[in-house]
Amino acid sequence: MGEENPVRDAGTPPDAARSTAVPRPAPLENSVPAGRVIAHVDLDAFFASVEQLRFPALRGKPVIVGNGVIASCSYEARRFGCYAGQPLTEARRTCPGVVILDGCEAVYDAFAGKTFALCAGLSPAMETFLDEAVLDLTGCGRLHGDLHAEAAALKETIRREVGLPVTVGLGPNRMLAKIAGKSVKPDGLRWIREDEIETVLPGLPVDRLPGVGHAVGRELARMNVRTIGDLRAFPVELLERIFGAPGRRLHERCRGRDTRPVEAREVPRSISRETAFHRPVTDPDEAAGMLYYLQERAVRRARELGLRCRTVQVWIDYTESGRAAASKSLFSPSDRDDEVFRLARLLLFRLFTRRESLRRVGLALSHFVVDAAAQDDLFDHAGQHKRERLYRSLDGLRSRFGHSVVVAGPSVRLLGKMNRDRNGFVLRTPSLTK
Amino acid sequence: MRMERLDEAVKVRADFQGGRVAPLLIKRKTQDLKVHQVTARWEDRRGAHKIFYFSVQVPSGDVYQLEFHSGDLTWKLNSVMLDG
Repeated sequence: MGEENPVRDAGTPPDAARSTAVPRPAPLENSVPAGRVIAHVDLDAFFASVEQLRFPALRGKPVIVGNGVIASCSYEARRFGCYAGQPLTEARRTCPGVVILDGCEAVYDAFAGKTFALCAGLSPAMETFLDEAVLDLTGCGRLHGDLHAEAAALKETIRREVGLPVTVGLGPNRMLAKIAGKSVKPDGLRWIREDEIETVLPGLPVDRLPGVGHAVGRELARMNVRTIGDLRAFPVELLERIFGAPGRRLHERCRGRDTRPVEAREVPRSISRETAFHRPVTDPDEAAGMLYYLQERAVRRARELGLRCRTVQVWIDYTESGRAAASKSLFSPSDRDDEVFRLARLLLFRLFTRRESLRRVGLALSHFVVDAAAQDDLFDHAGQHKRERLYRSLDGLRSRFGHSVVVAGPSVRLLGKMNRDRNGFVLRTPSLTK
Repeated sequence: MRMERLDEAVKVRADFQGGRVAPLLIKRKTQDLKVHQVTARWEDRRGAHKIFYFSVQVPSGDVYQLEFHSGDLTWKLNSVMLDG
């Protein structure tokens, strides 16, 4: 399957093109696929791998990064049954000799950044997440030649330059690229081609499909759907009736169809920060202090990206009775700490009503508008600019000397109760949201 | 394994060949530590200047985290992970 000669103009008849005798580039037989090619690059057991790289004594041993719950665990720990999100108390029982580390956000950010910079050399169309990158390689065969060899070379370069193992999956769309990668983890490389979909996909467990989480998986198990092939037997109308709008997506995905584009998200969908408390908290002011600190970090990130948020969501985890969450929109989009916190505090006190201690708190900002496009306040122009100057100055100080150079607002209540380093308060669970 | 914070200014003998920094020997107040292996390196930025971080293993097996500030050309030992 070769692509058309790119030299020939689309409007030119074939004969005319031949007669002009324009020199053609050498054909890249079998190496240039005609359709889409997406690569999914995944850093294997990312945080644990970084720790094993830094500390050679940990190599080959079960390693967990996390505090309270597992954020990442090495493949040695996974063999004992450990998994991301598992409570550490349970992980200690499952894997007695495990080494547990708190982790360091700044170090992981640096390693991810270095890896993604190498990935960007393969294709300009790249979307990155915390520990994975999706690259659109469509048409790049003309530049790189054999894309499989190029992906293998990228793996090798990352291993050499960064020191971390990655798994690369290639496929005709995002979903199949991810499934290809998942099937050869860790440190693997696989390409599922268009003509292999019918042989590969139907036999896979249904939970390999994106969108099949715990809840959907349980429902499908109840329907006796075990494999992707089993799911194909259900008509789209029935899936829609059972799962709502995601039912149609499931119907498409189980047939290997996924039209999502790869696009660098300049405007993120949300910016969130959350952490677990070092000990259960009953004092609402202390919870508000932590919420202010998390809000400061999230809003500062929004300001760095030149964004104002409209919606604020707050969630809390009670020690016994689980999670409570609420969200509300601001009157007008804002990138000011005082405005966002006023709403976040309101939501916190609306949620924190039970006589029970809190284990975790978090907030998310969403529905962003670009700063330049936002409507200014018509009546308090001077006051608004004064506040903006204040936050710009604070951001400048913090990026130069570290976030903890200024402790402001209700987060002052955390002083003396929590350790601080250059990057701010040392949180129990590092906030690693991208 | 046990982690200890140090935050100690040190002198380091380093190789700057080929645009790449490679620490060779760490001179602390009371001891000299020969760098056996650089296990990891990464970068960060503080204001206009780059900070280079190194995880270095010494012959005893301990792993030190070392920081080089490109602005004032100073070195600092951040922490040590003691082997055993």
